[in-house]
Amino acid sequence: MKNWHWTVLGILLIASLILEFTYLADYASHWWNHVPAFYALWGGLGCATLIFVTKGLGKFFILSDEDYYDR
Amino acid sequence: MIVELLSVPAIILILGALILPLIPERLRSTAFVTFPVIALAMIWTMPEGNLLQAPFASYELELLAVDGLSRIFGIIFALITVIGGIYAFHIKDLGQQSSALAYAGGALGVTFAGDFFTLFIFWEIMAAASSYLIWARETEESAKAGMRYLLVHIFGGGLLFTGILLHLANGGSLYIDSIEPAYTAANIFMLLGVALNTAVPPLHAWLADAYPKATITGAVFMCALTTKSAVYVMIRLFPGWDILIWVGVVMAIYGTIYALLANDIREILAYSIISQIGYMVTAIGIGSELALNGATAHAFNHIIYKSLLFMVAGAVIHAAGTSKLSELGGLAKKMPLILGLYMVGALSISGMPLLNGFVSKTMISGALGDAHLEWPILLLLIATIGTFLHTGLKLPYFTWFNEKKKDFELSDIPTNMKVAMGIGAAFCILLGVAPQLLYSQLPFPTDFQPFSVYNFVEMTQILVLAFAGFWFLKNHMNVSNTISLDTDWFYRRPAAIVRTIFVDFPNNLFGLAETVTLSLANKLSAISKNPARVLIPSFAMSGREVKSDGFTASMSAALSFILFAFIVAALVVLL
Repeated sequence: MKNWHWTVLGILLIASLILEFTYLADYASHWWNHVPAFYALWGGLGCATLIFVTKGLGKFFILSDEDYYDR
Repeated sequence: MIVELLSVPAIILILGALILPLIPERLRSTAFVTFPVIALAMIWTMPEGNLLQAPFASYELELLAVDGLSRIFGIIFALITVIGGIYAFHIKDLGQQSSALAYAGGALGVTFAGDFFTLFIFWEIMAAASSYLIWARETEESAKAGMRYLLVHIFGGGLLFTGILLHLANGGSLYIDSIEPAYTAANIFMLLGVALNTAVPPLHAWLADAYPKATITGAVFMCALTTKSAVYVMIRLFPGWDILIWVGVVMAIYGTIYALLANDIREILAYSIISQIGYMVTAIGIGSELALNGATAHAFNHIIYKSLLFMVAGAVIHAAGTSKLSELGGLAKKMPLILGLYMVGALSISGMPLLNGFVSKTMISGALGDAHLEWPILLLLIATIGTFLHTGLKLPYFTWFNEKKKDFELSDIPTNMKVAMGIGAAFCILLGVAPQLLYSQLPFPTDFQPFSVYNFVEMTQILVLAFAGFWFLKNHMNVSNTISLDTDWFYRRPAAIVRTIFVDFPNNLFGLAETVTLSLANKLSAISKNPARVLIPSFAMSGREVKSDGFTASMSAALSFILFAFIVAALVVLL
């Protein structure tokens, strides 16, 4: 990842936050619309949760050797 | 009657499958593409209504029931068969070509079936024809996987047929119509039969087991036809069944988790099908017009981007010879076009604005919002994040960008494959920027508007943060040489024991019985050579030789006399 990649992503994020706080300031169709930057939080937390939960499940019982069914 | 049958698009394709062997090999690929083009034109121009009836026993079968819903599914099935045909243009395997056409014919037959019998017959044609696309890979692994696939689908067909028969026995109509949510035996059997083809866990394991082992071109047809025709039937029969809302959410998350763990690129894509169908099943569970439109639109878009992804995965396997992330890596500079086409499909499935996944996903979340189902919205967002993680980031990163683990001698990718992928990518972009093209074909009229500030903000924040999360945590993802245990464990793992009890044990028992019988017979025949030796041991032991095969002179004379008397008597009687 080069620096300009991160810059583009940062600009996109900031633009979406600006839009959220101006255009959507009193938008309230769901309870979570009151939480500022909710979708960014959900995206980040969801991503980390998914990665660690699948890692745990994989270790716990899902992943197995390739010749598992041939043994 | 026979001539009228030619107005059924399914019959055209199945007829095509039968004619194909008679066509010279160099024209066969062109013919393969021609049949679905004809079917597509027919579907496009057919009027609505029940167009063709056929008498069967005391029933009147409806072979061609056309309305808005069946037409849009018919269009996408025919279209994807054309694209798949272009992708497989270089293939010279008659078996694969014929079975792919018959398979697509089955899917079209299911789509336009107006009664349960017609539906069931085409349902089974699909199962049988598609199995060959797995076997045609001609490896030991695919031979076994194909047999498992066929057996599971025969089981599923049995569930569906049981449901249909119970439905008819209870006085239900033969003609297909939506079923009121009531958990009667007939409805449960039919729902299970359809759910098996829709790949609802725990009945889903056939999909991730078989698709990665199918041929490169066969998997493109498979990822488009079986599950989506079942989604169509589910929209027809079970709209508004509440249970499906949560079934869909579970599917979406379940498929995501397994896709995140998979090492084979086509297995990632296969599990991601289950996850995407979860969205459609949830929408079917809501049952509102917007939701059913959303399910239909998502099925349509899903077929396009998922077949694009399978085509690219096939191109990688064709070029590099492996499908495992644990072996791939560092190919970006060598196949930039393929990478670009892949990213169009991957960003579409992730719901990036201005690509086609976005215009149908937002429709489903809009329908969920209207129904005030807030947790399903949030959980489906988790599945969206997961989809972006495995299809949008993990697969391309470990295939094209991560450091290379092996030096690959890449084989050239045929131009027709590139053209087919290009067409798929063009549709992803076209429907993404001009969703009205799709919306105008949906079963219910809609003025839904996907391009709202809210939807842009939502998707941008989710995707940017999911990307950042992936970048810092990517080393925690599984890319080792492993397989995932799934519900197919229940019929694969006990196979050895079942074989011992039901095959090896009877085999050995019969073998033993045979040995015993034969040795007994040997002994008996040895004895009968000279029974006197056993019966009168004193006589045999006295040293006289016994001639068992001859007569003494006096005995011969007596026998000759009897024979002579018999002939004389016969002559007297007859004359």
